[in-house]
Amino acid sequence: MGHADPPAATAAKRRTKRNRDGLIAFVILAPMFLFWLIVSGFPTLFGFFLGFFDWVGLNDTPNFIGFGNFVHFFQNKVYTDALWRSIWLGGLVTALTLLAGFGAALLMNLPLFGKGFYRSIWYIPAITSTVATTQVFNIFLDTNNGVINNVLKSFGKEPIVWQYSAAWGIFWIVVYSVWKGVGGAALIWLAGLQSVDPVLYEAAAIDGAGRWGKLRYVTLPGLKPIATYIMITSLIGAIQIYEQVLFITNGGPYGQTEVLVFRIYRDGFWDFNLGMAGASSLIMAVIVIVIAVLYYNWSTKSDRRTTIPVKPVKGGR
Amino acid sequence: MAEPFWLSLRKQFTPIHLLGHAVLFGVGLVLLYPLIFMILAGFYDKNEFMTTVLRVIPIPEEPTLANYRALILGSKDAAVSTYMTNSLIRTAYNTFWALLTSFLAGYVFARLKFKGREQLFLIMLATQMIPGTLAIIPTYLEFARFPFAGGNYIFTGGTGILNTWWVYLIGGPAINIMGTFLVKQSLEKVPIELDEAAIVDGAGTLRIIFQILLPLQLPIMAFIAITTALGTWNDFITPFFYTNSDKLQTLPSAITRISSVGASPGAVINYPLIITLSLGITVPAMLIFFFFQKYIVQGLANTGIKG
Repeated sequence: MGHADPPAATAAKRRTKRNRDGLIAFVILAPMFLFWLIVSGFPTLFGFFLGFFDWVGLNDTPNFIGFGNFVHFFQNKVYTDALWRSIWLGGLVTALTLLAGFGAALLMNLPLFGKGFYRSIWYIPAITSTVATTQVFNIFLDTNNGVINNVLKSFGKEPIVWQYSAAWGIFWIVVYSVWKGVGGAALIWLAGLQSVDPVLYEAAAIDGAGRWGKLRYVTLPGLKPIATYIMITSLIGAIQIYEQVLFITNGGPYGQTEVLVFRIYRDGFWDFNLGMAGASSLIMAVIVIVIAVLYYNWSTKSDRRTTIPVKPVKGGR
Repeated sequence: MAEPFWLSLRKQFTPIHLLGHAVLFGVGLVLLYPLIFMILAGFYDKNEFMTTVLRVIPIPEEPTLANYRALILGSKDAAVSTYMTNSLIRTAYNTFWALLTSFLAGYVFARLKFKGREQLFLIMLATQMIPGTLAIIPTYLEFARFPFAGGNYIFTGGTGILNTWWVYLIGGPAINIMGTFLVKQSLEKVPIELDEAAIVDGAGTLRIIFQILLPLQLPIMAFIAITTALGTWNDFITPFFYTNSDKLQTLPSAITRISSVGASPGAVINYPLIITLSLGITVPAMLIFFFFQKYIVQGLANTGIKG
């Protein structure tokens, strides 16, 4: 800016810069997007159509049946139950995780000695492998030599066969999910608490607010954007829970702990009912997308501090 | 900061602080308990584990290092060292690509001007809303029908790239959207004058990218590296769904095969081996976490709130 170049020359220079930028961008991005299309873009697009076909068994020829699978989905109790269970289980896990995480974050926000240490030990479950830690839960829940049953026996109580009871199965799935999620929730809440402007607390103190007054009139309103963010992302994650179901109850007893994503896995990889698996996936995707879009609209309208609900960086593919 | 140490120490003993210590430490211990259990159970001999009555704190009468040794030197029971090697290679490979793609793409979206940049970026972020569940079965079908691979006559006839190393390798160079988002966000805070000054000094694009901008992004790169490494290290989905042969299993997927999910019905579950493999996954993850937790805490805050 402000150079002595004649305007035409600057415009030309800007254009060549733009062309050069475009070329570099293309060279860098094109291969990345190509691979992204192979492992993510195309399968996802494929996923939107799979549910409209009758397709059982890998070597079967897919047969277009329109909404047949979806009609079957909503007429069949196995699927509607699984969907309903995903929703309330997800809601329950989200509520418990966020409440416990919020309490922990309030305490972590105090000037305690060793708060870094507390943050770490609370967060550790989140970085462990679901496969490995659910196996430890299975050792606790073993009928004959499980730790919990051994404790019960030592108090003279009858051992419980956890695997025979859907209620206990759900209970342990919830316990596991909260165990794994609470530290992460606490850390995000904590970041939110620390982002509240300290001047507001000083002003509230001058106005005579005590600890609870500050929480009620400064902290909670200041946390609104991050609260919505964490609720939405947690809910989106929790209604898709299935790994702990797979490894703790395996859907049993008699499919009474099946959630929708578990059902998709079961249809796809046990029964090779690819059409039904596709239809269920699409229903799950629509629910998640609707929640995300509603949130996105709300958050861009009301506050610019929040980001769109992106999932955490995931490894794997 | 300025107050004397004894004064801040005395503050630790107000009721609310004591409550804080008690709850954070007490519940923290409960949260750690499954991992403590796993580490202790790792000292059991296989036979002792099967025959002893497990207590809340499992302390073996004849502790052995055999399980821990099996992780490093391999074991007769299972190809532990193969699983370990596969896990390590996958993790290193995915982390390398995640860093490279996020940084380069983040640079492109933060610094280069080209038509449709904003739209492209928005579309990319929007795809993140679509749950991964939708793609599991289609990915399986795609891999099975991969053209000209694994005996496929164009699309059919063979098994495609299922059950080959390609299942692990093909996703590497794909753009890491979340990482790109983070790098872009972070680069936008670096004044463009820095680039311009470097150009005046005669630096080329590559030099600007790698010698001037990259060193400023180390915290966010560390976050991307750690989350990708932990994610890949713990991932069982790819091997579990898309591979079959024992040679291709990683530590987590090896567990799925001997746990109640993968073992033949009615078989006795080999918990000592499961514990060995679990330790092999968990201990390195915990070490990584302890060394780099600063970046994780920072990065989590970055993904949550943006200024």
